[in-house]
Amino acid sequence: MVNPSQLLNWRTRLGKCWRTLRDIFYGMTTYEMVRDLKKERARLEHLFVLITMGDWLGIPILPPYYTLRLLPYVVPHLAGWKCCLLRERDLTDLTDFET
Amino acid sequence: MNAIVVLIISLIGIGVGYFLYAKSIDRTIIQPDDSKTTPAKMYMDGVDFTPANRNVLFGYQFKSVAALGPIVGPIIAVRWGWLPALLWVILGTMFLGWVQDYASIVVGVREEGQTFGALSFRLISRRARTILLIFIYAYLLLIMAAFGKIVGFDLMTNPAVPLGVLLVMGLGMAAGHMTYKLKMDILVTTLITVVLAFVGIWLGTVGPVKSLFLAINGGATSPLLFGSVTWAQFFWSLVVLVLCYLGATLPIWRWAQPINYVAFWIVFLGIIGGTIGLAVWHPAIPVDFPAVSSYDGKLGTLSALGPLWPLLFVTIACGAISGWHSLVSSSGTARQLENETDALYVGGGSMFLEMFLATLSLLCATVGVGYAKYVELVGKGAIAGVFSNGLATFLNQVGVPVSFGLPYGSVFLTLMALTIMYLVVRFMRVASAEFIGDAVPVIRNTAVGTIVALAFSALMIWTGFWSYVWILFGGANQLMASLALLIISLWLKSKEKNYMWAFLPFIFMFITSIAALLTTAWQVISANLRGGLPIDKVVGNWIAGFLAIFLTIAALVLAWDAIKALTRVVGVSKPAQAKADA
Repeated sequence: MVNPSQLLNWRTRLGKCWRTLRDIFYGMTTYEMVRDLKKERARLEHLFVLITMGDWLGIPILPPYYTLRLLPYVVPHLAGWKCCLLRERDLTDLTDFET
Repeated sequence: MNAIVVLIISLIGIGVGYFLYAKSIDRTIIQPDDSKTTPAKMYMDGVDFTPANRNVLFGYQFKSVAALGPIVGPIIAVRWGWLPALLWVILGTMFLGWVQDYASIVVGVREEGQTFGALSFRLISRRARTILLIFIYAYLLLIMAAFGKIVGFDLMTNPAVPLGVLLVMGLGMAAGHMTYKLKMDILVTTLITVVLAFVGIWLGTVGPVKSLFLAINGGATSPLLFGSVTWAQFFWSLVVLVLCYLGATLPIWRWAQPINYVAFWIVFLGIIGGTIGLAVWHPAIPVDFPAVSSYDGKLGTLSALGPLWPLLFVTIACGAISGWHSLVSSSGTARQLENETDALYVGGGSMFLEMFLATLSLLCATVGVGYAKYVELVGKGAIAGVFSNGLATFLNQVGVPVSFGLPYGSVFLTLMALTIMYLVVRFMRVASAEFIGDAVPVIRNTAVGTIVALAFSALMIWTGFWSYVWILFGGANQLMASLALLIISLWLKSKEKNYMWAFLPFIFMFITSIAALLTTAWQVISANLRGGLPIDKVVGNWIAGFLAIFLTIAALVLAWDAIKALTRVVGVSKPAQAKADA
């Protein structure tokens, strides 16, 4: 007789295997497409932040009225945005093929 | 020896290499710590730095590194006998391949996601970065030449192949439109496009379609156009370049991405079907196929390829060790790693899986095709035909007719090459704009930049001998791998860690790659000096010889700078050690 706890253990293991396979398959297939889309959106958002909050990076724009309205929403992303814009890039960066 | 025994040996290689050697290096030297924040989390910007699940990243890494290399390399290398090729695939991965892939990720993660360009600038010299970038450009050009020749000259000239390939391209575009514009479910899109792609491959085998493409080729024996290039080779390589142009200039969602997606299914199903077929069949390696042929790679009536050392070690690049992996690992994967402990699983694990793919390819040539057919096909220059025949034989064991399996194998290979080629052209376009954009502003124009990259590629495709081009491509690839190992060694030394596990592979790969490039340079230049070659081969040989010498000199300069940097690092670390001892 199979012990119910053993059966449960096997079901858990099988479930874990299934999830692993599913994730690997996702990585091989649509992950890159999803990543490209997210990148595209992030790039546009970064451009938007640049034209409204550019003075944070020393770009001489007069902060418009909307800058203050948008500031609370932008604050959580400011660190990432500054890193992304200020990071030095070279050709080896392009190996990721997002050119 | 039975094919299943060969697969079991490679599985044992994976077990020993990954679970004993790699894990011990990971545990004792690198000592990954999940409490440290990775760049993916620290600099998460949604663009370059984004954390991803380890299994997802494993799939991404494997797909990014496994292209035509692990398939074509072993097929050529069995000319020295299947045993040396198999040993290099297994031992190369065990002691060199995973080291480079894994350590590239670790260095990227510990150095805040910096790429090898930036690291070579910091750890070696300003000149080192410039040389590395020139290397990458030359390497990409050689990818275009090697892949372009195999697709344009060998695969597409088979009248049963072009329809399948062109239909997959069209269906890939349709998949992009269905997904992004019509917002259709990805499962439905996949089902429709992949099924239609298989129908397209089958249609290519139908009599009237083959006759049509045969007419385009100018008959069964295509007429010579110039030098030794036939009309069919010229025409189909031009078509390939046009496809690359579209891939490099159209938005990535419109062309490259969805076509890659549909092509993935064609390739993936082929690998699964071939593996099952081999397991069901489980034949022995034919006794007439020599385990070791001769030191100069002379197999039967085939002419000698060159000395086993160094040429075998660059002929099989991907599948044992490849410089390309270090670029993908450091600039792509390292920035998506969620935890430090995932590095070995993602980098090392996918390299060991690629080794398995290379072993399958080796069996395709030895078991699937057999000695007599192998010699016949390679003698005709149909390297790709070896793989198609082998895959068709494997698939036949699970009921797929050979008449379908043969063109399917060719379409499979063509897609694997093309999906890389148009991305390479895209890269070359940006690279040339970066290099000379200030001096020649017109090169910044997308169309002009792409056409210049394609013109260089066309020159390489239409001239020279394929085997030399492949060895040059392997040499450049392995040289890049050795430079990556050098940067890794320098980094390990700067952190006062044991660096011999990366430095010894560097010394072996560096000397081997330089020797391979010089051997190739000698072979092509002496062939020219002997005379009697058609004009295209003469031009191609001079280009190949020049490239080989140029890459060698550049690599020696870079190594000189690196040795100076290493002594600098040793000089810095010794007083620190003395202070710690006191």
